[in-house]
Amino acid sequence: MDRSAHSTGVTMLALDVEYALAEFTLRVKVECPGAATAILGPSGAGKTTLLNLIAGLLRPDRGTVRVDGVVLHASDEGIDLPPERRRIGYVFQDDLLFPHLNVEANLRYGYERLPTADRRFAPERIIDLLEIGALLQRRTVQLSGGERQRVALGRALLASPRLLLMDEPLASLDQGLKSRIIPYLRHIHSDLDIPIIYVSHSVAEILELTAQVMVLKRGQVVAHGDFFHIAHQPEVLPLVEEYGFENVLPVEMVSGDAALGVSLVRCNGQALKVPYCPRPVGARMFVGVRADDIILARSRPQGLSVRNMLEGHIVEVKDVEGKWLVYVDVGVEEGGVGRLAVKVTAEAVRELGLAVGEQVVCLMKTHSIRLGPEME
Amino acid sequence: MGLSSAELEVLLLSLKIALWCVAVSLPPGVLLGWLMARREFRGKALVDGFLHLPLVLPPVVSGYVLLVLFGRQGILGGFLEGVLGVRLAFDWKGAVLASAVVGFPLMLRAVRLAIEAVDPRLEQVARTLGAGRLRVFWSVTLPLAIHGVLVGSLLSFARSLGEFGATITFVANIPGETRTIPAAIYTFLNQPGGEVAATRLVVISVVVALVALTAGEWIARRTRRG
Repeated sequence: MDRSAHSTGVTMLALDVEYALAEFTLRVKVECPGAATAILGPSGAGKTTLLNLIAGLLRPDRGTVRVDGVVLHASDEGIDLPPERRRIGYVFQDDLLFPHLNVEANLRYGYERLPTADRRFAPERIIDLLEIGALLQRRTVQLSGGERQRVALGRALLASPRLLLMDEPLASLDQGLKSRIIPYLRHIHSDLDIPIIYVSHSVAEILELTAQVMVLKRGQVVAHGDFFHIAHQPEVLPLVEEYGFENVLPVEMVSGDAALGVSLVRCNGQALKVPYCPRPVGARMFVGVRADDIILARSRPQGLSVRNMLEGHIVEVKDVEGKWLVYVDVGVEEGGVGRLAVKVTAEAVRELGLAVGEQVVCLMKTHSIRLGPEME
Repeated sequence: MGLSSAELEVLLLSLKIALWCVAVSLPPGVLLGWLMARREFRGKALVDGFLHLPLVLPPVVSGYVLLVLFGRQGILGGFLEGVLGVRLAFDWKGAVLASAVVGFPLMLRAVRLAIEAVDPRLEQVARTLGAGRLRVFWSVTLPLAIHGVLVGSLLSFARSLGEFGATITFVANIPGETRTIPAAIYTFLNQPGGEVAATRLVVISVVVALVALTAGEWIARRTRRG
């Protein structure tokens, strides 16, 4: 299997498409490198339409679609491969398992239609990876939500796609299930070397998978690149805030203790305790914290269970539709956003005298910190 | 009370015509049902109305139209007989055509509703998994709509057993050729003292109807579960 093709920066997906929708015209011209790219955007921004254009379920009014160097659509040359010849996997928000087939027949639906030479994975491998071996003979109605979504994923993978499209695949699952599915997704693009385009509302979900983000708004790409560079752009920030603001900090792994379930990381000279993760010492990665999960104090408090205290000074205090956001500069520079957004009440702003320039301490519980992807 | 050979002949003829009616209605019923459920085209409402006409028109009218078109002097009838050597008028095959036409809206509606109930995104998934349109139809759409196809077949079969007006207009009432159960009952009722024979046929048709409906219900329940 050729792993280098994607990691050496070969363009995996090149899009230049136009498609008229009822309220606006979708115009997207982007090139995505390998691995995984997430598409973020408000409802009705055209995210699903874009996936349908890539998959061939919709035909662009004009433009080209290329995946891995293969032209799938070129209006000018009259090329338009039908979806069944594009080899693009598509996992929908609802798992859309075939109700008249059992799990095994669902899994093999695409696999059996594939010429033997094009089959990249043995069914056993995918079944093991997704841990669905015990379900094979079940009928689909007997599966739980998480099981259904894993079977849908396995079905798409067994068709050996060049690219996997995922349209909010976890939206219908509860939080516990989500966190159990995400590791499978990481395996897909690390072990199987299948690039992923991942549509989601949730920044937290996206960051567990990739930092490459494309932000879509009314059919236009308003930002594209590393999340940590674009998160504070004026076009992006409101979106990120709307779906649960995620603060992101670049950190370096210092040590880990599996027994205690804690890893120690360093964030610009300040130590942070985060949930245990088995990454090597010195690995650089991102961690995220919700604005809701940070507590502000005027001084270092005593006798609290909270393990993490980051010191900084306030750079901005903002009223966003009745919710107050306090931005604290914690002195991070390279690659990071350098400041934390903290959600507080108007009363707290008044009583603590939170104003620009004041020194504060940001308190974060270890388990409110999410581990993000490793930096390249 | 055994069946007389004449009664058996009438019963078997009725069943033969009804089975053939289902057989010839199925392919166009499934095709048009799919077309009406899944495709948009100009004049769709008009086509829909036209296909439903036999449901609304008096069967005698349908039979008369068939006679005009497919009679021996008819536009299509002359062609069929002259070129293909197939005669429909006053022939049991004509009875099949008459009941197929009259029962067609029932078949079409059942198939169309069943196909409309299939989530089109399941078909889209199937295509991204490498199945072409025709494959998707056979492997996803049809299996998921099979319930409607069976219900449509049953309705078409039942409608054929009960068909009288269009049949008698188009192919008359020829013993052994086009005399089905309803035509035979009509014949006996027009004969002095034929009430007993008519009543026996009425009982036969009630039994046949009950068997058909029970079988249909059984099939419907099995396919719904499967």
